[in-house]
Amino acid sequence: MFASVLGFEARYQLRNPVLWVSFGIFFLLTFGAVTVDQIQIGDTSNIKQNSPFAIVQTVFVMSIFALFAVAAFVANSVTRDDETGYGPILRATPLKKAPYLYGRFAGAYAAAAIGFLAVPAAILIGCAMPWLDPETLGPTNFGHYAYAYFVIALPTLFVFAAMLFALATATRSMMGAYLGLIAILVGWVVSGILLDQPGLEKTAAMIDPSGFAALAEQMEYWTAADRNTRLPELTGGFLLNRAVWFGFAIACLVLAYTFYRPDVKSAKAPKPEKVMAGKAGVASVNLPARTDRKASFTAATARRQLWARTVFDIKAVVKSPAFFILLVIGLFNASGALWFANEFRNTSIEPVTRLMVGALQGSFGIIPVVIAAYYAGDLVWRDRERRMHEIIDAAPVADWAFVLPKVLAIFLVLVSTALVGAIAGISVQALKGYTNFELGGYLLWWVIPMTISAAQLAVLSVFFQTISANKFMGWGLIIVYLISTLTLSNLGFEHNLYQFGGSPGVPLSAFNGMGHFWIARSWFDLYWGFFCIILVIAAYGLWRRGAETRLMPRLRRFPRRMAGATGAVLALSFAGFAGVGGWIFYNTNVLNIYQSSLAVERQLADMEKALAEFEGAPGPTITHVVLDADLRPKTRTATTKGSYVIENRTGAPLARMLVVWPRDVRVEAFDPGAAKLEQSWPEFKSELWAFEKPLQPGETRTINFTTVYGRPGFSNTAGQWRVIGNGTFIDNFELTPMLGVSQRFWLTDRARRRNYELDPERRMAKLEDGSANGKHYLRPDSEWVTSDITVHTDDDQIPIAPGYQVAEEKANGRITRRFETEAPIQHFFSIQSARYDLRTASVDTPLGPVKLEIYHHPEHTQNLERIETAMKASVRIFSERFSPFQFRQMRILEFPGYATFAQAFANTVPFSEDIGWLQANRDPDKVDLVTFVTAHEIAHQWWAHQVIGADKQGATMLSESFAQYSAMLVMEDLMGPEQVRQFLKVELDAYLTARGGEVVEELPLIRVENQDYIHYNKGALVMYFLRNEVGEEAVNRALNRLLAEYAFKPAPYPSSSDFVSLLREEAGPQHQDLITDLFERITLYDAKMLQATRQRLPDGRWEVALTIEARKLYADGQGQETEADLNEPFEIGVFTRKPESQGFSRADVLAFERYDLKTGTQTVTLVLPDGPEPLFAGIDPYVKRIDRNSDDNLIVVKSADDT
Amino acid sequence: MLHIAELTHVYANGVRALDNVNLDVPAGMFGLLGPNGAGKSTLMRSIATLQSPGSGTIRFGDIDVLKEPEKLRRTLGYLPQDFGVYPRVSARDMLDHMAILKGFSKASDRAEVVDGLLNQVNLWPVRNKAIAGFSGGMRQRFGIAQALIGNPRLIIVDEPTAGLDPEERNRFLNLLAEIGEGVVVILSTHIVEDVADLCPRMAILAGGRVVAQGAPRDLTQALRGRIWRKQITRAALEDYKQRFNVISTRLAGGATLINVLSDAAPEPDFTPVEGNLEDVYFSTLAATRAAA
Repeated sequence: MFASVLGFEARYQLRNPVLWVSFGIFFLLTFGAVTVDQIQIGDTSNIKQNSPFAIVQTVFVMSIFALFAVAAFVANSVTRDDETGYGPILRATPLKKAPYLYGRFAGAYAAAAIGFLAVPAAILIGCAMPWLDPETLGPTNFGHYAYAYFVIALPTLFVFAAMLFALATATRSMMGAYLGLIAILVGWVVSGILLDQPGLEKTAAMIDPSGFAALAEQMEYWTAADRNTRLPELTGGFLLNRAVWFGFAIACLVLAYTFYRPDVKSAKAPKPEKVMAGKAGVASVNLPARTDRKASFTAATARRQLWARTVFDIKAVVKSPAFFILLVIGLFNASGALWFANEFRNTSIEPVTRLMVGALQGSFGIIPVVIAAYYAGDLVWRDRERRMHEIIDAAPVADWAFVLPKVLAIFLVLVSTALVGAIAGISVQALKGYTNFELGGYLLWWVIPMTISAAQLAVLSVFFQTISANKFMGWGLIIVYLISTLTLSNLGFEHNLYQFGGSPGVPLSAFNGMGHFWIARSWFDLYWGFFCIILVIAAYGLWRRGAETRLMPRLRRFPRRMAGATGAVLALSFAGFAGVGGWIFYNTNVLNIYQSSLAVERQLADMEKALAEFEGAPGPTITHVVLDADLRPKTRTATTKGSYVIENRTGAPLARMLVVWPRDVRVEAFDPGAAKLEQSWPEFKSELWAFEKPLQPGETRTINFTTVYGRPGFSNTAGQWRVIGNGTFIDNFELTPMLGVSQRFWLTDRARRRNYELDPERRMAKLEDGSANGKHYLRPDSEWVTSDITVHTDDDQIPIAPGYQVAEEKANGRITRRFETEAPIQHFFSIQSARYDLRTASVDTPLGPVKLEIYHHPEHTQNLERIETAMKASVRIFSERFSPFQFRQMRILEFPGYATFAQAFANTVPFSEDIGWLQANRDPDKVDLVTFVTAHEIAHQWWAHQVIGADKQGATMLSESFAQYSAMLVMEDLMGPEQVRQFLKVELDAYLTARGGEVVEELPLIRVENQDYIHYNKGALVMYFLRNEVGEEAVNRALNRLLAEYAFKPAPYPSSSDFVSLLREEAGPQHQDLITDLFERITLYDAKMLQATRQRLPDGRWEVALTIEARKLYADGQGQETEADLNEPFEIGVFTRKPESQGFSRADVLAFERYDLKTGTQTVTLVLPDGPEPLFAGIDPYVKRIDRNSDDNLIVVKSADDT
Repeated sequence: MLHIAELTHVYANGVRALDNVNLDVPAGMFGLLGPNGAGKSTLMRSIATLQSPGSGTIRFGDIDVLKEPEKLRRTLGYLPQDFGVYPRVSARDMLDHMAILKGFSKASDRAEVVDGLLNQVNLWPVRNKAIAGFSGGMRQRFGIAQALIGNPRLIIVDEPTAGLDPEERNRFLNLLAEIGEGVVVILSTHIVEDVADLCPRMAILAGGRVVAQGAPRDLTQALRGRIWRKQITRAALEDYKQRFNVISTRLAGGATLINVLSDAAPEPDFTPVEGNLEDVYFSTLAATRAAA
């Protein structure tokens, strides 16, 4: 009996179009994620598309999405009989409750399981697509697919399906199941957030019904090698989790049995017929009588009808449960994004409206698409499906009163959806205690743009439904459209003129609001607006009215419907569409350059092929730079007149000079002196000039040039953000030529290089390559230069460039400032101009006072104090401990948040709006990023602007790792070691996670190849632990010697190994192995406190016995580990409070001692003086080493009596 | 008032649903009888502007229905054979909505019209209930209410009594009977009594053709003295069918009664009966079948 119910149910569900539509969507989503770079499910950027990790991750994520479909199946399997009225017939059969219920459930689950095969199938098929880079694929292993399907997906689906089944049985409604699902998901996410704390991982892993937390715990620090080869094991926490939840699912099914009531669903039963039967005559006194009112048909009637139809359709949408569900899903998704929108590198910044809008755009965007597509199908076909169409169609209503209301209704629903999103944003702001809501911002940046795209979507969806034979075909067309958009841009067709509804983005900033970016978007909106009118008219012309539903007859009568005003509007719209299109084309393709990102990439590859031979070729060295940059904020252009003094430092005559112009400038004039153009590569803006008389060794000459940056009109993308109305920040790489090429120019992504037939293994020069010491890594054509920079801008702005201001002049609404250097600096200049407020301060250093200047947006004042304090401490500490500060002046300048970074130029640091100026820092336990980044950038005045690494492996260690180290010194000085520990915790986690994503090769710090996670994250960990072990004096002595030997000196430039040699000399013989481990190897530790017991001695003292396990591992570049001999001193601490907890202080430390530990398990016994009870004990309790699992370092001390 | 001339419609699959239909429909109730598949609904839909027939003309007064459908719609009330309802919408809201569509843009006018109709069709007590929960009879009464909005001059009701119990059917027909003078009401049905009870004029449609039209009384009159009845055993039925023009059979008290069309008594034991409209209908259909 059970089997036949199951079979019937499964077959029934498999015939259900909802199943095929939803799993069709899942197939396409998965397929897209595998084959299209723009669609991402989880993080698969650095691993093979068909690696076990990627398969497991994708299958898991899709199984969560699938729940929304599964809910429908299982709920349908129990509620169907009530809804169709078939229930009584079934209940009259001798079918028993158990086979009925469980057969139904099993059948629905089986159907869902069969449907879910679409996901692994999509990965498998996607990986076979010819355009995928074979580099991103591993060998096909069906076992991995089977594992993901059977071990990950099916159990998760089962657990949730059982819960939903119980809910649907109890509530006897689809809605109940959906609400339950939402509640479960919300609970799941909230508990995930609440439990995302150190020490609670085990609980989190257990409480997660999807099992993902347990999986994540298992895979947290997997390296790329692991991810590409290993499957998660069904053991430990994961197995326990699955077992517990399987039991829970069974319990739900049992509950469903008890919930199930075989009686007829009540409420509907007696028809109110009796109330009125045959009473008409009796009650007629009070009852309304029939009237002879006449209908009227005027323009007002038509408007009233239009509005009535619109309202009617809106009600149909708003009252339908699916709308509510979609909205909740959207909010569910958006609230997460909103909540974390103001998180930046583990610290929170003010939740300004701009960030909220950004989060909404990212997370809420898909819901309008789904609503528009779904309800277009629903509304267009509703009259027919409800068999009301004959009545409605026969009513005296104009044809357009059918099409327009559908469009309007969907449009209005989408607008209200956008408003709901805005309310969610405002609520999150309010919840976070932020009250400057900027309602105008929500309106201009979110509601209006959303409204426009909503209108476009509504029109397109309704049009598709109008030309389709049924609504599934209409939905199919929408999906095809969505896929085609992605595919088009993937194939390099990115022009918004043919991407329906396409328009350039509008980045936001407090400096400019929407800046000039809205202009381009508005033109495109207008263009697509005309197109939408055309579509609406087409939909009107093809609308089904009456019995004729075929497309061809409707097409034949189309011309008749176009008679009169309609045709005129159609013609005008075509004219508008073409006219605006022409104007846009003129702007994007004539005034500006349209180039797809694919074309840009290809050009770069071609450039490498053409110019790689010039890498390292002898060329002149720039020694003095004069720039005159004329900034025009209103037209967003910069005209730069400049000259280079060049010198031959090669020791042999130079016959030629390679000149590479920035990609985006127009070269207005170039005077290379007596030279002629020997070869030119116009597509790469590169020229080879031959001197008429070769440049002799030691000889200097001057070359002059004029470039123009910025173009009139607008482009197909958001366009350049560097020279703008307010907040210009551009550097000389964008404005002036480079005299040579360097490998750093080229494509780095191995897969891409392979695509363009470039050697994918071409990498940075090896550490041992002495010839690479001739150049530093910033640019190949300059050593230290002197500069003379003049900047002109509108006189309501302040222009700033590196150097000291020597002149200022104001005339004709313009301001001119000139900046000169007194000593050589790096050939790397920023030019900035904005309406700034200025805060000044001063700090004393051994060489005299240093003026500090902070240029900021007038409203961004909350962190000025903090920045100033950090600047003062940085300048003071670095000049005391490293070397004197080379400038009399130090500036920090805010620039618009179009990019999120800070960058160090000589005595000048541009600092993005989003990094330093909006930090909230309400939580003292969190890292103070403002102080940290300020200190880091000021440290670059030493590490990059005094000493710069040779252009080879390890170069960035000398700048970035040292800047990290320096910033930690400042943080410790200002805020104590606790802040630094917080910081290092984040760095450790970032390092361990990021090394898992490495595909090329993880290198030891000394050989870092510009890898962020090594020179920043690991660099900080290494330098801090080094200081802890050998002492700050020794480290600083080595740094001092490096500065003394190399600061401001021309080639040869120092390498990371030069520093390590100095360090070895300064640290003393006992630390040589440590230095090897830290710099020259990839060393990982795994220390673990297994057991800790305390016992009170008769004299009141405490005896604490600790069982410790420790080991050390060396990893190779692919993450393969080998056990190393451990014999090192470790810190051991006993506390009354957890070191990372709030309010932890020195008083909580009962003991803190160093013990030599060896590989394996060992015991240590401490005797503590009479005092508070020891509660926690830890091995390396502050996690100073790179510990693979730092969560087990600290445990609770138990009383010896209890054990 | 309603003139249908040479109306022919062939569906894409080759079915000839209407075959040169010519009809003159005066004011008052007009019954259109025909078996299932006779083309009634196609004809009704064509008149109701929902379908463009392949050829022919339909005129209502001075309106050329096929050329100016929007004009006809302003004075048309249509109750289709099969219609559904929207979920979660009450009778009053739906009627109100229909009233807007039928040209009542003023809310107070509309309330008057809607409430009057609700009362007229006896749905006043349940006006705020969702139509989806209505019984079949209530639903049909709602259907006629919407068709009556705005006092149309042409009312088309397509098989309205199918599936109604006798009481509901009566109630429904009473409603139809109340519809005012000077209005064309076309009642399409396969139930002979509907027409017999209500319609002063009628036509019979079979195989897409009008096979008979006129006043029921005239048509019945033509059968006077030509209908003969006999009670037979069931086993003998086939034999009688072979020998005589049996137009209908029915069971009465366990015995089989047959009606035979014949100018004289077929056999002595046949008794003459007064022909009724049902006999007209069956004899016409029988004749059509014989011809086919």
